[in-house]
Amino acid sequence: MSLSLIYHFQSSQNQDGDFKPSRYKVVYFFSEQGFLEDSFMREMSKTIPDADHFGLTFLSLDDLKGFALRVAQELNSPEVRLISVQDYNIGLDGARDLASLKNVFSQFGDLVMNENNSRKKGFFGKLFT
Amino acid sequence: MSYLNDSRSESDLTRPGEQWFFYWKTSAALWESRILEFAQSEIIFIPIYWGFHAENATTWDFGDLLAERDLVRLSKLLTQHGRKFSWILPLTPAPFFPNGGVPISSARTLSISPEGSHVVALDQESKLNKMYSYFEPKVFSSFVQFLNSLGQFLTAHHIKAPCWGLKFYYRHENDRCSYLYDRSLAFEQGFSRYLKSNFPQGVELGSAAEEEKFKSNFLSEVQDLFRTAAESSLGSFWSGVQEVLVLGGSPKETLERGLTEGKTQFHYFQDLFDVYIKSQWLSSSLLTPLEKNQLLPKFLTEHFGNAEIEERYHYQINSGDLNQDMRPYSLIDIVTDENCQHFQTNGLLPFLNQHYRWLYHMHPSLNFTTEWIEGHQHQVKFFHGSSMDRTRFGQMLKLFMMGQQIVLDKTGLHPDLEKRLQIFYLENNLKIQSVNFLTSITLCTLGEGRFFAFEGKRLDDHGERAKFWENLFVYLNLTQPEVVADNDVFSLWRIRATSASDLNYIDVRRVNVYNPTSYKKRVLIHTKKHFAFMKMIDPQRAEARTTSQGVEIELLPFGKIALDFGHYEEA
Repeated sequence: MSLSLIYHFQSSQNQDGDFKPSRYKVVYFFSEQGFLEDSFMREMSKTIPDADHFGLTFLSLDDLKGFALRVAQELNSPEVRLISVQDYNIGLDGARDLASLKNVFSQFGDLVMNENNSRKKGFFGKLFT
Repeated sequence: MSYLNDSRSESDLTRPGEQWFFYWKTSAALWESRILEFAQSEIIFIPIYWGFHAENATTWDFGDLLAERDLVRLSKLLTQHGRKFSWILPLTPAPFFPNGGVPISSARTLSISPEGSHVVALDQESKLNKMYSYFEPKVFSSFVQFLNSLGQFLTAHHIKAPCWGLKFYYRHENDRCSYLYDRSLAFEQGFSRYLKSNFPQGVELGSAAEEEKFKSNFLSEVQDLFRTAAESSLGSFWSGVQEVLVLGGSPKETLERGLTEGKTQFHYFQDLFDVYIKSQWLSSSLLTPLEKNQLLPKFLTEHFGNAEIEERYHYQINSGDLNQDMRPYSLIDIVTDENCQHFQTNGLLPFLNQHYRWLYHMHPSLNFTTEWIEGHQHQVKFFHGSSMDRTRFGQMLKLFMMGQQIVLDKTGLHPDLEKRLQIFYLENNLKIQSVNFLTSITLCTLGEGRFFAFEGKRLDDHGERAKFWENLFVYLNLTQPEVVADNDVFSLWRIRATSASDLNYIDVRRVNVYNPTSYKKRVLIHTKKHFAFMKMIDPQRAEARTTSQGVEIELLPFGKIALDFGHYEEA
């Protein structure tokens, strides 16, 4: 089961002395089985320091990747693809139908491998490398 | 032809639902055969794909150049076969049109959703339709040119069919979002021009929330521009505006529908019931034949079918009195603005969703007509002070004087209206009873009318507020069978007058029960006093048996059943 995460970079804001740093927000996070439950994602985000658990925003791309990897480990997924909403939109520009929409998730973004999952090869996995 | 006997092939793309006809989806030579597939009594609605009629940036073709644009031919076929029809003109991008309906020459900038993604929708052929921004100046000028041509065309050819303007929406975070919504560069540039024009001295946008408010006002004004342009160009053909939620049409649902599991029947039912209780209208035109299977088409026919369509589009108005036809039934009307958060925080909605699921309707405005008032005589009306203006306030008091049960949460009530309320009590010599239970409550009666007013603010997020509502509803003494079922079983009630063959009942109520899950489900219906089980109708993958308390239903996966109950008064 592979996972896909679309995120949005929110630039910093400074209004009336109230400074909000830039953050990376989870827009969509799903597998072939469907979208992940909000409550589950909030629980997983608690493993990342300084994450906004309710809004699902993270201070850095590394934090976002850490969150995505944590989810992949929890769901025994071998990998998770992170795509910025800008890249997703570029992919959509060229898509015409369902098939080309699906291709966006193999052509764009960064793939983060779940090393823990690839290590758990099992008996047969150890035979076939 | 109803969906229950739907024999259309998977490739019949011209009839996507709700009696719509997509004329551009097939050769003009096949229009006649397609039209004849509609039942004689059904009104046919024809969305006008305005971009399709653009021969170039300035020329609009209605059949001189391309047969599939020949609206005269189409209207003559419909008239020849005695079919009533109505045009549908989109006032926002429409997800079932390529480019959202915008002609290629004007399609410059793709719309941006609240999440920052392009607004895209998968149509019934799994083609990806992308919405182009209506804030691109060329789009509005193109739309106005089209409207002028269309108006002249309809007048010249004496095509006497009404034209409805439709605003399309998609599901967004338990609410809806207009397809007009946009945050692209075209929007930002338009917003900048709007600020300069409306605030020549400049304006300070103090916070993000304040900026959003200005942007929301700008969007409303642009929406109005499109509407008034249509109204002005189409003159006597113009019938008004409808708002339509498009099932499966949000950017998120586009992704979901593309997954292996797809969007489940259960999730579609959640959307359908939300549309139902919010008194909204819908379109299922994006759904593929594979998606529109199992219970969905049956539900759509039963609750958004021809009768409902005729009433929505004013072809048929239900009189106040019941007749032999089943009509939707509810116990409660909640008059609220689009943001029904007030009734969430004071606890009414959580209470209703637990004890009177789908037995209420929410109304953004009060349909103060004789037919509606008489037809909703028995529904308890809930109002909130913060969404009250003088007109609504006067209408509320009139309903009370007509003998209806009114409940007013006075939170946020304007001081002037509070004064008017006190004057109303005095002028009508009403005796006020006061009670204090978690908050202060007043009650007065006038004939059959009862008027409750309470300070809802004290209930906001109160741990015991459910008791307040329990006690109020005991006092209201609403007579209705109780449905006990899991949260993923759906039910709707309908009502009709008794017929000669019925026993001496006051009315007959029907509950339609649906199980859109892949699990077996058991449902109990407690008839309590005042109701007698009469019969079951059209059980599909379902069984029912009577018990000492009422009726027990067993629903297999994707099963449905309807049960009739006679309502009587005990001697």
